[in-house]
Amino acid sequence: MSEKQSPAGAPALGKGAQINERVGIATREFIARASANRKTGRMVVALLLAFSIFAIANPRVFLNPLNLQNIGVTAPEIGIIAIAMMLAMLTGGIDLSLVAIANLSAITVVSLYSGIAANDPALAESLTVPIIVAGVLVGIGCGMLNGVLVSVIGITPILATLGTMQILNGIAIVTTGGSTLYGAPESLASFGRSGLGPVPVLFVVFLVVAVLVALLVSTTPLGRKIQLEGANPVAARYSGISSRSVLMSTYTIGGALAGVAGVLFLARNPTASADYGASYVLLVIVIAVLGGTNPNGGFASVAGVVLATLTLQIVSSGFTALRLSSYEYAIAQGVILIAVMVLDAVAASRRARRPPRTAMPAATPDAPAASPEPTPVTAQKETEHS
Amino acid sequence: MQILRRLRGKNNEGILALVLVALIVTMSVLSPAFLTAGTAFSTLRSATVPLIFALAVLIVIVSGGIDVSFAAVAIFSAYTAVSFAITMAPELPAAVIIAMAIAIGAGLGLFNGLVIARFRLPTLIVTLGTQGIFVGVMYTYVGATYYAQLPPALAAMSSMTVLDFSTGTGRASLHVMAVVAIVLAVVVWWMLTRTMFGRSLYAIGGDVEAARRAGFRVMRTQILVYVLVGVLAAVAGIAHMVMGRSANPQDLVGDELDIIAAVVLGGASIFGGRGSVIGTVLGVILIQLINNSLLLAGVPSAWLRAAVGLLLIVGVGVQALSARRKARRVHTLDEDKSDRLVQEDVA
Repeated sequence: MSEKQSPAGAPALGKGAQINERVGIATREFIARASANRKTGRMVVALLLAFSIFAIANPRVFLNPLNLQNIGVTAPEIGIIAIAMMLAMLTGGIDLSLVAIANLSAITVVSLYSGIAANDPALAESLTVPIIVAGVLVGIGCGMLNGVLVSVIGITPILATLGTMQILNGIAIVTTGGSTLYGAPESLASFGRSGLGPVPVLFVVFLVVAVLVALLVSTTPLGRKIQLEGANPVAARYSGISSRSVLMSTYTIGGALAGVAGVLFLARNPTASADYGASYVLLVIVIAVLGGTNPNGGFASVAGVVLATLTLQIVSSGFTALRLSSYEYAIAQGVILIAVMVLDAVAASRRARRPPRTAMPAATPDAPAASPEPTPVTAQKETEHS
Repeated sequence: MQILRRLRGKNNEGILALVLVALIVTMSVLSPAFLTAGTAFSTLRSATVPLIFALAVLIVIVSGGIDVSFAAVAIFSAYTAVSFAITMAPELPAAVIIAMAIAIGAGLGLFNGLVIARFRLPTLIVTLGTQGIFVGVMYTYVGATYYAQLPPALAAMSSMTVLDFSTGTGRASLHVMAVVAIVLAVVVWWMLTRTMFGRSLYAIGGDVEAARRAGFRVMRTQILVYVLVGVLAAVAGIAHMVMGRSANPQDLVGDELDIIAAVVLGGASIFGGRGSVIGTVLGVILIQLINNSLLLAGVPSAWLRAAVGLLLIVGVGVQALSARRKARRVHTLDEDKSDRLVQEDVA
């Protein structure tokens, strides 16, 4: 705000005025973006709040570096699946099969590795990278299957992914025989144990993936199309966006992310089973919605999802530190999910009831108003999305 | 053509029935043990709890929502009532225990309904959340003990059969809870087709805004829908415990998707406004029969889950493709076709 300059209505069109104008626009954009990320800001507050509550309640256990590292190691797999869920929700859909895909990818890696290692352990170890790539490819394949069902055949995402979840889960049960498989490349496990200083390297992987997806959503044409498709599919179609290819790429990317998450399962714990992470389906939806994703599509923020992941992992580990059961954590998840949505709904209806003075500055954003009011602009944007 | 269209039904129930008949014929050719009263009754028995659940899901889906918390409601209400009876008052008559379960189920449904209708939230996500809450509250505050024995009044119902006769291959019996499920199916059919409340569900599911402007009290109806789901779920929970002769808090939750798959296969549209009890009954029986036949055919039970998923995708995929074709055809309506459409609308 401090850079705000003299009124832009000055008669002279000299260089100084132009620079003034530009600085003014930049400031306005910055403020608009900051308040558009209101939900992200809220997540920062929630994160700090959760952290301080548990840090005060049981500092000896909770603030133990081991515990904090544990949060950093468990968060990535959940967070990456939540980001994939966010992408599906961004198009107005949902992907219930993500956890099943991740498990199938982990099972693929373990069976390939132990299959080769049975004959030649050294060869299996040297084939670590191709084996991991195969696991991720399985994820991509499953994602493409979802994409075909949703975009080409036209099945509602919730039903299509419900069906593929059952099918993939069934395949996983059959291949594992219902038991837990052991054995993953040793280098993958040591990769999972290593860290950059005090930060676990898995957490770095998580941040890299998050930044990549954030760039995809906010800077690439595909990301913009995904957002438009979710905000208003009819308008998107009439603007020449092929919803078929957009949905296809969204679900394929989601499958790829789930495949990566499956590999992260193994990096943390070299076992794979068909029913690993059964509770993650609810958890990742909670995270996505908590992170500011609009389940009806069109609005989401990767930063919000990352923060929400960390918050929920802190709550989870804090509950453990306070010796609360996993069922109490399930209650907390449900309560948080519903509370957040109710608060959002109340706030949205309050915004909608506000008088339409908001239309003016939004319609003429370049008007030389002395004190640009950014909030109405974002308010209108958000009511459009909801 | 007219007759064919009628037989096909509004939501392709006719096709579903055809598939069912084809399956039964194939199975009886392949295995002579299949076509007996015993198989029929055992299918009916295994379909009892899914059928009651499916009726509940049908009501929600017709009204344009979806509920994944019904299994949690069922196990919560039935388990709470039963464990109260076991620990506090073992002499309680069955009717009181069942009424208690129904009251609890209605309360949980009311909670769902209030949150969904008051704040107009996405039903899938709300019920996912309440599912977690209900299960968590049950384990934390009600208990997690497995009761191998029901209270005497309920245990007496476990062996209650309405029809019981021996056939050449063994005994066949119709459990009292199967009769309850059939009665409930008839009641829900009557409610959906013959009452103002039922018609308002179709109206709201078809278009909320239009229903509101036509004068339906949307919020009240929606809340009532979820209360009804809670009631039906509680009955299903009790039926499950009576037929299984035990109260296990880990039961039921996790199999919600099979039920939703059955209802959707039965022709109910996930967007609301379409669906029928007949289709739902056929869908439930189809899934039970396929599970039974796969087991009879020696397919490992691990494949059952995948089979249901595949069935769901094929069923819904066919519907989606035909809807897409229909949407394309509307633009080239010629005279006598549009006449026929008008006639159908009148019929």
